[in-house]
Amino acid sequence: MRQSLTWLLPFVMLLSLSPAQAHHGWTGGETIEIEGTITAVRLGNPHGELTLDVDGESWTVEVGQPWRNERAGLEEGDLAEGVELRLSGEHSGERLMKAEQLWIDDEHYVLYPGRI
Amino acid sequence: MDALLAWLGETALAEWMRLSRWGYAAINTLHVLGISLLIGTIVALDLRLLGCRRQLPPGELGRLLQPLAVAGLLLAMATGSLLFLADPGGYAESWLFRLKLVLIALAVANALWLGLGPGLAGATPRRLRLAGMLSLLLWPAVLLAGRFLAFVDD
Repeated sequence: MRQSLTWLLPFVMLLSLSPAQAHHGWTGGETIEIEGTITAVRLGNPHGELTLDVDGESWTVEVGQPWRNERAGLEEGDLAEGVELRLSGEHSGERLMKAEQLWIDDEHYVLYPGRI
Repeated sequence: MDALLAWLGETALAEWMRLSRWGYAAINTLHVLGISLLIGTIVALDLRLLGCRRQLPPGELGRLLQPLAVAGLLLAMATGSLLFLADPGGYAESWLFRLKLVLIALAVANALWLGLGPGLAGATPRRLRLAGMLSLLLWPAVLLAGRFLAFVDD
């Protein structure tokens, strides 16, 4: 019995490792602001993802799930290729951001009201 | 292949998976339930195969645990296919997702190799230990690969 349990130990340890540099959720990184043009977009569960051209650099921006984007007031076509926007959110990875709020033509959209 | 993935992504079911709030949450929950059933029962059986609690006959234990493991696997595969539909192209190009599929294939092959071969009741202890060890390595590896899909950039 004891021998068998020794087998289990490494697995349990692996499973309980907490992913420190998660792309999921909030990483405790700094809040930054970027401005650019959408070059690619995939909206939908588990969350939407924009590719943004920011001064010639390609950024990946995570936006909300459909219900969150909708609640923020975003409509179809707002997050589409060619749209220019400004975003504020948490910096994660080299050119990766989890958006908390954004502005399109001075219209303000808040994805995470509890975080701004 | 790309055409097939694009077509899959355009089906009504895929659209529902992409847009539904509680539908997606429910499928996600059922996926976790399937994994729990599978891992929970298979780890117990594997421990027996490795020699733990020798007084329990493997064949008897298998009759209780294997149907639950198979039910869990089928539930996880069905709901997993639906989750895949939300972003077929994205998952298909992820190296970790591909690794996960390979690991599932190996784990299933290991189970069938024993099940369709000598069977739990007929196999030698050595054969049981080998199958149990492979299973105990492969299924948790599948779980790790799956969970880390959400945390790894590719």
